[in-house]
Amino acid sequence: MKTLLIANRGEIAVRVMRTARAMGIRTVALFTDLDHAAPHVQAADDAVRVGSYLDIDAVVAAAKTVGADAVHPGYGFLSERAAFATALEAAGIKLVGPSASVMEQMGRKDAAREIAVAAGVPVVPTGTDAAYPVLVKAAAGGGGKGMRIVRNAEEMDEAVAAAKREALSAFGDDTMLVEKYVEHGRHIEVQVLADAHGNVVHLFERDCSTQRRHQKVLEEAPAPTITPEVRALVTSSAVALARHVGYENAGTVEFLLDSDTGEAYFLEMNTRLQVEHPVTELVTGVDLVELQLRVAAGEPLPVTQDDLTLTGHAIEARVYAEDSFGGFLPQAGTASIVRWPTGEARTSTTVRVDHALESGQVVSTSYDPMLGKVIAHGPDRESARLALLAALDDTAVLGLTTNTGFLRALVASDEFRDATIDTAWLDHVDIGAEVPAPAPEVPRMMAAWVSAMLSASDSVTHGGHPFQADGFRLGGPPAPTLVDLDRLVVVDRSAGTVDGVPFVMVSAADHVLDAVVDGHRVRAVVNVQPDVVEVSFRGQRHVLTPPDRFVDAVDAGDGILLAPMPGTVLDVRVTQGQQVAEGDVLGMMEAMKMELTLKAPFAGTVTAVGATTGQQVALGARLFVVEQEEA
Amino acid sequence: MKELVADLRQRLATARLGGSEAARTKHTDRGKLLVRDRVDALLDPGSPFLELSPLAATGMYDDAVPSAGVVTGIGRVSGRECVVVANDATVKGGTYYPITVKKHLRAQTVASDNHLPCIYLVDSGGAFLPMQDDVFPDREHFGRIFFNQANLSARGIPQVASVMGSCTAGGAYVPAMSDETVIVRNQGTIFLGGPPLVKAATGEVVSAEDLGGGDVHARTSGVVDHLADDDRHALAIVRGIVETFERPVTQSLAVHDVEEPHEDPATLYDVVPADTRTPYDVREVIRRVVDGSRFHEFKKLYAETLVCGFARIWGMPVGIVANNGILFSESALKGAHFIELCNQRGIPLVFLQNITGFMVGREYENKGIARDGAKLVTAVACSVVPKFTVVIGGSFGAGNYGMCGRAYDPRFLWMWPNARISVMGGEQAASVLATVAGRPDDEEFKEPIREQYETQGSPYYSTARLWDDGVIDPADTRRVLGMGLAAAARAPIPEPSYGIFRM
Repeated sequence: MKTLLIANRGEIAVRVMRTARAMGIRTVALFTDLDHAAPHVQAADDAVRVGSYLDIDAVVAAAKTVGADAVHPGYGFLSERAAFATALEAAGIKLVGPSASVMEQMGRKDAAREIAVAAGVPVVPTGTDAAYPVLVKAAAGGGGKGMRIVRNAEEMDEAVAAAKREALSAFGDDTMLVEKYVEHGRHIEVQVLADAHGNVVHLFERDCSTQRRHQKVLEEAPAPTITPEVRALVTSSAVALARHVGYENAGTVEFLLDSDTGEAYFLEMNTRLQVEHPVTELVTGVDLVELQLRVAAGEPLPVTQDDLTLTGHAIEARVYAEDSFGGFLPQAGTASIVRWPTGEARTSTTVRVDHALESGQVVSTSYDPMLGKVIAHGPDRESARLALLAALDDTAVLGLTTNTGFLRALVASDEFRDATIDTAWLDHVDIGAEVPAPAPEVPRMMAAWVSAMLSASDSVTHGGHPFQADGFRLGGPPAPTLVDLDRLVVVDRSAGTVDGVPFVMVSAADHVLDAVVDGHRVRAVVNVQPDVVEVSFRGQRHVLTPPDRFVDAVDAGDGILLAPMPGTVLDVRVTQGQQVAEGDVLGMMEAMKMELTLKAPFAGTVTAVGATTGQQVALGARLFVVEQEEA
Repeated sequence: MKELVADLRQRLATARLGGSEAARTKHTDRGKLLVRDRVDALLDPGSPFLELSPLAATGMYDDAVPSAGVVTGIGRVSGRECVVVANDATVKGGTYYPITVKKHLRAQTVASDNHLPCIYLVDSGGAFLPMQDDVFPDREHFGRIFFNQANLSARGIPQVASVMGSCTAGGAYVPAMSDETVIVRNQGTIFLGGPPLVKAATGEVVSAEDLGGGDVHARTSGVVDHLADDDRHALAIVRGIVETFERPVTQSLAVHDVEEPHEDPATLYDVVPADTRTPYDVREVIRRVVDGSRFHEFKKLYAETLVCGFARIWGMPVGIVANNGILFSESALKGAHFIELCNQRGIPLVFLQNITGFMVGREYENKGIARDGAKLVTAVACSVVPKFTVVIGGSFGAGNYGMCGRAYDPRFLWMWPNARISVMGGEQAASVLATVAGRPDDEEFKEPIREQYETQGSPYYSTARLWDDGVIDPADTRRVLGMGLAAAARAPIPEPSYGIFRM
């Protein structure tokens, strides 16, 4: 294999290129107009423009043009599209993945289940075998669409009908499956690798139970709660399944572990490299991409099952562009400052970051919101967890909000520490209560300190100015600096206090402030710009904006709307006692050939209406009175 | 010297408190900021503040009017230096005593000399009525404030007022005469006659707010331009107003990189004797004030009792004239020559004054020391470059004139806490007066004279009466001079011309 086209973008494209380059393979990236300067393009030896990463013809044509021997599909996009695999096969280009037919079989949940049963893999009881509660789901489905939980027979018909409607519109196929619904499930998945010579190995399991709406948030290896028996069951089942279908390359067999009974059921097989593959790499020491490429090149697997052992524990956190504490809304914008943990070697733990986000990059909502992954490895789960916590503390994205602060709080939670989080936990829990949003006090103090420091140094040109902002006062201590953030903060640099709290600066360079606040050593990334200060503290981005003092409550007046000119009332839209919102139109009048709209200055109740349609009113006539609601 | 400085800091700390604790509590309970907090909130974050005469009225009016009830000074607002005049309502309701008026006028002079915008934070009951004869009628009394506002505005020096309390009678003209005015709602009031006067005059009963409150003036009368919710809001609006001022395009002074003195200014305490009678080399002071402790001395070998030379302070070039003993004819000639040089080159002058006077005696009088002294005084008086005077020791007799005393319009004049100022020494005055009275050896006659000179020669007696712009810690000399130079740098320097030098 000499040339590899990576039919993907973002961190996975960069990650695949890293291994390919190390193996001496030339790498070719694809890019859309939006991505022309993206990190994955810069990481590649060559790059080809496509209209869309999903355009099979364009991608295959690009592969031909650059003379690619193989295409690595990454995850998402075309990675599990049998049609893509077929098109590549037709073009004589090797897909780094299984054959189109295997992909096709495993892509359908009903077919996959039959194969699993045939391979002797435990499956979730279905149809009439399953006792309530049951899950009704679309055979062609995914992503939670066309799915319903049904707890008793009465709800069944309606649920099936609703799920069918959803499935039909989403997938164009309303075939339904009914299966046992596991209340407290853990998501266990087994990594398998198979070559073209009939060798199949597993690389142990991962636990991806911390998920929200089926989107994984934290993943780890090995699974923290399973018994050796269950491990033996799931790993051997995965190998059996792969062998049964003649699987080739890397795949993942997913199981649902019923926490209440300890039973594991086959869910599905993913015929690609998973997002969370780094945790497996860290605990097995295997470069999965390297083995993928070797297998794709026709080489036999260089490792046997006996060569593979588990070392320590690894946990991955996925950094998304989303506001977790604000309803998990997707975020976009320019990442003004991005700091990933350096992964500096500590005694026994290591940190790995797979990402494709650098300072200054634009994050759009056009693509997957995942910006990168922070992975920590340690000799045991707790050391890995603490290393991940420290790594997330050192992760900062400013310019847009990410879920890093949420990840940090989640990793720090008792529930995650105790491995009690099941797949439904995040969907049911009150986020603010169980995973509290980080408090702004300390980051605000740090932001204020940096602002005060910068305003002092801003005025230092040519080594100083007599009016430099050092708070000089005649024959007395320097005046503290008043920093106007979301509220006023008093920074006394000479006394070493912020709002009266002891504050000692340790260092400040390159946007990073290291300080001891009230006896606690803390670190934050701070970006001071005119009228806004952004801070990343423990992964959480805080945006501190002073109130605009020129838009004040005074402008709203007293709620008495007088005729601004003498004229005719054209329209009266409210009646006395009516509730109005700020900006609601109360009425219209015409004067001096102009139509004037009279709007409610604030939300409240209309307490008086002094106009009727068609009435002539004098200048200053009292037309409406709005009484403000008490806040 | 350290004790003198400790005493100074203690006096300043006391003055900074303002009115009594009860008055201050009453003030803050109304949601108002104390006057110095207002200034802090007005200035840019961390801005220094060159307060002028904070110890004004010390020892006057039964010591009941700290800082004369008004805070004045220069600080940065929206990136540019401005003169701030802020009434302290916790001190006698912010009313104007004679020294209050003088201090207000002095601040306006500073604004005028240096082309600095004026910001008035008004919270004052107007003239202090019991002393109306010393406050109201004369040229340099209350009315001059508004005369100055009109003329400063005419010269393009912006006048901004923020009404944060009462503004009664004459005081109403401070906001009314300003270019742009802010008022705090439910707090600031402006009226020519307050509710009691209105009732007495016409019988009309009206509340202060309805008579001249924020809403009235912002919506109905048009006396003010901006309505604020509270002090901080008002000050933010003022900052916004200053932001709209056109920036001065040029600085008339060349600025070089700043270099700290090689000798720590704090060591001035050790090199300067507290007793002004003990001689020392003034170059020790210069070394602790100027950039890199570098002093390019002029005529070093000639007339050694007056040290002249060029240096830089905070990167700005200065010519320094410093006493190093009594003034002789040669010293006066050297000084006059050097002052002409600085005017020719547009270099500001710094006078370090420590002078007992010109040499007396037949030999010197006959050789015409008065003629040479006059040359120095002419040069100083007609000097057009900014002048700064620091009285670092004695300031006696005609030496005060030749070394740019207050009457010679230095942009700023500061005193060290060890300074002494009077027409002659107390001992000499006592002897002269005793001799004139024909009682040359009468100690009973001389003692009260000595005492009077002792009291009136104190820098605190001086600063109380605005003979200077403040008593400063010697270690702050470099910083204070730097701020003065920076503040002065905005005003253009005219072409020099002199009166007749008596030859």
